Amino acid sequence: MTAQTAETIHVPSSLMRQTLLDRDLVLPATGRPVIKLLPWLKVVKIGGHSIMDRGRDAILPVVEELVEAFADHKLLITTGAGIRGRHVYSVGLDLGLPTGVLAALAATDAEKNGHILAALLAEHGVVYLPHSSVAHHLPVFLSAAPGVVANAYPPYHLYEFPPAVGRIPPHRSDTGPLLLADAYGAARLVYVSDVDGISTADPKDDPSAELIPRIGARELAARGLKTLPIDRIVLQILGSAKHVKEVQIVNGLTRGNISKALAGDHVGTIVHAD
Amino acid sequence: MATAMDEMSELHSLLMTRSLTDDELLRATDVAPDYRILPEVSVLKIGGQSLIDRGRSAVYPVVEQLAAAAKRHKIMIGTGAGTRARHLYALAADLGLPTGVLTDLGTAVAGQNAEMLGYLMAKQGITVVGVSAFSGLPLFLAERNAVIFPGMPPYDMWQHVPDEGTVPPYRTDAGCYLVAEVYGCKSMIFVKDEDGLYTANPKGNGEATFIPRITVDELVEMNLPDMIIERPVLDLLRHARHVTSVQIINGLKPGLIERALDGEHVGTIISAN
Repeated sequence: MTAQTAETIHVPSSLMRQTLLDRDLVLPATGRPVIKLLPWLKVVKIGGHSIMDRGRDAILPVVEELVEAFADHKLLITTGAGIRGRHVYSVGLDLGLPTGVLAALAATDAEKNGHILAALLAEHGVVYLPHSSVAHHLPVFLSAAPGVVANAYPPYHLYEFPPAVGRIPPHRSDTGPLLLADAYGAARLVYVSDVDGISTADPKDDPSAELIPRIGARELAARGLKTLPIDRIVLQILGSAKHVKEVQIVNGLTRGNISKALAGDHVGTIVHAD
Repeated sequence: MATAMDEMSELHSLLMTRSLTDDELLRATDVAPDYRILPEVSVLKIGGQSLIDRGRSAVYPVVEQLAAAAKRHKIMIGTGAGTRARHLYALAADLGLPTGVLTDLGTAVAGQNAEMLGYLMAKQGITVVGVSAFSGLPLFLAERNAVIFPGMPPYDMWQHVPDEGTVPPYRTDAGCYLVAEVYGCKSMIFVKDEDGLYTANPKGNGEATFIPRITVDELVEMNLPDMIIERPVLDLLRHARHVTSVQIINGLKPGLIERALDGEHVGTIISAN
């Protein structure tokens, strides 16, 4: 029972006096359709291991393609962590550090890849934006320049969820661009990798692997493939996303794929919400 | 029989070569040791709507309890958001703004509550430490035994989108809990204005029955329409490595904060198993 004390001083609102957990009370107040803040935005994720770690032979053609794309698109370009992220996981795990610390450490490696890409795009007015600017200053940067580069890791850092299995942070560099693309109501999200898309098996291990051109997120999760070129949590988030209804995975080592995907052509694999 | 060192070197080679979506790799990371960063520290969450929005009659006694507790315990005090966040969520949701924007708005309110608590505890030398300054936590805790932090997680525009509506699913309960978990803290105590968890919201429901102790599975099974703690915390708790139970206590009743810090069962204990 409540002890003798003053009542809560409320600000009148449709959510006043409630826990925000009773769906019968919360939904009527928050069920309005979500608007698209930046409907023209296109989000690209450049793989850390799949592109950046390959060095100039892979990176420079991708940079050229991005520059060409600037003529037609406003791009939020995000970068993954790659092999240094793996190394820092390994050292961190050996030291017994928790998942949240591993997430913060690997995010730094993704950030450094972003700085490298931004430097290569600098002459076009492109800069690297930290998380806080991506969240609050993106529109002004994209009015001034055709694109910006950001960290693909979401700012979960120490607040990363304990994973269901093992210790690796579940929100990695494919998750950040999806959450962000959905929050901004972006038109498109393209993952640039070093494989042609999602295959029936990992094409690096199994030459008989066949490309899956289009598949539902739930169906893909149910297939239980041993590995995927995108973070598994992406499949789950796609189910609740308000705007992003599909994501596309393309091979960035094949010239022209990024432009095609940004133009809406079907190259690679499209994973859609089902 | 593989030695621990063999296992770690096996893990290193998996990490350098396999996909991070590979289940074998993920399971192999379980062999890594678990190091608790701040094992002597407890995290307390002070409710926004439940306590701080009540003003001095509730907050002053809570501050006294916290100051007394900090003489014997190391504590991190997280703050809830409360009624101004509800006003912001209602306003922003009605404008069709996305969950990421609502998260940012709620974060500011938890920050205001931390700021107010900080002024009230300034005499004890207890200060507010924001997320970006968390690297200084050990020093504050070593010097003053306590710090205050804003409870919202820093997810901002990267907040998970709920299945229905737009209210951010991970708010200050989740934020405070995750701080306790990542630092490997001793305990997580939610300080609210009810004795703990009931079968229904006890405010305006005379039929509600008190639940002294329950597991996550049992609670999920009950599928309660309303709850005193954010639902996603249950999933976090299920997968936790350090903080595998939390206690919800009534901050309006004198003395319960210290008793809970001493490990007494004075509210509702929710445990992973």
